[in-house]
Amino acid sequence: MFPTDFRYVRARSLDEALDLLDEAAAAGDEAKLIAGGQSLLPMMKLRLAAPQVLIDIAGLPELSGGGWYGPVAGGHLSYTIGALRTYRELGRDTLLAGGLVRGRDESAPPHQAEGIPAVTDALAVLADPQVRARGTIGGAVAHGDPAADLPAVLLALDAEVVIAGRPGRHEHKPGPPHHLPRAPRPGEEPSNVERRTMLLDDFLQGIYATDLAEDEIITHVKITAQGGRASAYEKFPHPASHLPLAGVAVALTFASGTLTDSGGRVTSLSDGSIASAAIAVTGIATRPYRARAAEAVLKGAFPAPDVLAAAAAQVARAGDGTELSLLGDQHASAPYRAHLAEVLAGRALARALARAESA
Amino acid sequence: MPAAHEVYVELTVNGEPRAATVPARTLLVHFLRDRLRLTGTHVGCDTTQCGACTVALDGVAVKSCTLLAAQADGHEVTTIEGLADPGAGSLHPIQQAFQDEHGLQCGYCTPGMVMAVRQLIEDQPDPTQDQVRHALDGNICRCTGYQNIVAAALSAARSMRDGAARAGGTDSAADPAGGREG
Ligand SMILES: Cc1cc2nc3c(=O)[nH]c(=O)nc-3n(C[C@H](O)[C@@H](O)[C@@H](O)COP(=O)(O)OP(=O)(O)OC[C@H]3O[C@@H](n4cnc5c(N)ncnc54)[C@H](O)[C@@H]3O)c2cc1C
Ligand code: FES
Ligand code: FES
Repeated sequence: MFPTDFRYVRARSLDEALDLLDEAAAAGDEAKLIAGGQSLLPMMKLRLAAPQVLIDIAGLPELSGGGWYGPVAGGHLSYTIGALRTYRELGRDTLLAGGLVRGRDESAPPHQAEGIPAVTDALAVLADPQVRARGTIGGAVAHGDPAADLPAVLLALDAEVVIAGRPGRHEHKPGPPHHLPRAPRPGEEPSNVERRTMLLDDFLQGIYATDLAEDEIITHVKITAQGGRASAYEKFPHPASHLPLAGVAVALTFASGTLTDSGGRVTSLSDGSIASAAIAVTGIATRPYRARAAEAVLKGAFPAPDVLAAAAAQVARAGDGTELSLLGDQHASAPYRAHLAEVLAGRALARALARAESA
Repeated sequence: MPAAHEVYVELTVNGEPRAATVPARTLLVHFLRDRLRLTGTHVGCDTTQCGACTVALDGVAVKSCTLLAAQADGHEVTTIEGLADPGAGSLHPIQQAFQDEHGLQCGYCTPGMVMAVRQLIEDQPDPTQDQVRHALDGNICRCTGYQNIVAAALSAARSMRDGAARAGGTDSAADPAGGREG
């Protein structure tokens, strides 16, 4: 099968891509951006999507690159990932996978990156190698698939989405508290591109529904590094599509503190209790979500087996403890998916804890 | 440039420059098969799941049924026809291993399997059996039960390591990973 007829254009810059979106809208055409095409083309081949104009953004320089930046307000380093980075590239990224990283200054010693194992876990079980070679992080987030893997991990890492559009078009929800819009530098030309940053948790809205407007483009995804080491992702894949029937991502931080005595000796005060737990679930509800009821069970607690089990038992519940409305289909009923999520949450917690201990 | 129903694409296929004007909706696999008559690349499904259409795009294995010819404009494509060194007059070591290990029955999935194994060996020159099976997640075979495909991949990796060791001037007998396993 091949898609229905459409017009194709390759954008050369972010500005041009935004113009092309406006031109299509003015002409009353349905336009779609295409990045890796690993969600859009399968839908177009099955005629589940039939855009009239396809705008290829795969070459946009403004959507590539990324790296560690910071510290942002609040003191955290943030890792910014260009929307066009593929799953394959992310899987080979030493900063995410952990390993020796050399800076630009060749004389400086390399430093050991901790890595974020939940990301590497997800990339290893997501789709297949050929799809991972093309699929992008921007596409994964923009698509709004209720059973996407990477968005669950990104949710557990409090990821943010950076979105570009024309100034003054949309009323924007305020961004995350530490995000301060940059004041223009003296002499800088006023830009015709406006960027907004929002939490992925606010961005994801429902089945294939996100906060992205039709005249906007995702440029980056940002992870603020905390609790990355003690993290894990577990999924139960559908054997043919590889999509998760259920998937659970976990990122933990532990209580810490140091005491320096009069002799200058430093003692760690960490008692092993959990300072914060982030748990995100995918595949079982209308969108990947944060299991806040389960998180609350863990906050401030010691990670004893009964505590972990009590937390896992809450993963299919909303923050206020009420039952979420869950998805079921011919592959797996809603109660079965909820059961899988509980089991996977237990496994992900155990794996994240084991990683914290070995660090 | 405005959006157009027809696009001019220029790409390198198996080392040769190729150009054509095609409908925008042309998938790379159809461009290869119908325009260039390179029919070694197969189509086995409508859902990006079978991998029979696997080719290398700029050296990386992708599914050519889920890529527009227009997206490949300006890039390099290698198909199963371009895998073996044309001067050598022999099969590529991966193709040879599929023959030696009887890694095929009807052969429909084979070009895609070979192109996926090429990527595997480039990424992991000394893969375990588990790594081979995992790397073939995106390729389906309806005939063989995979056993001999996995054997062929392991045997190809061995012979390519031996070849690289010989080319590097090292005695392959000294390579503990070389030689056939039990
Ligand atoms: C066989 C197969 C198996 C798969 N298995 C899995 C799996 O196990 N787990 C999983 O999570 N996913 C899976 N996927 C889905 C895959 O991960 C895609 O969701 C991902 O590749 C989308 O990225 P893309 O760049 O290919 O997006 P595209 O297909 O190019 O685009 C998808 C959507 O996002 C929009 N978009 C893309 N980039 C941007 C941007 N920068 N700004 C704004 N909008 C944008 C497009 O307009 C389109 O609506 C599978 C896909 C296939 C074909
Ligand atoms: S034809 Fe491309 S994956 Fe099946
Ligand atoms: S040999 Fe027939 S499909 Fe694989």
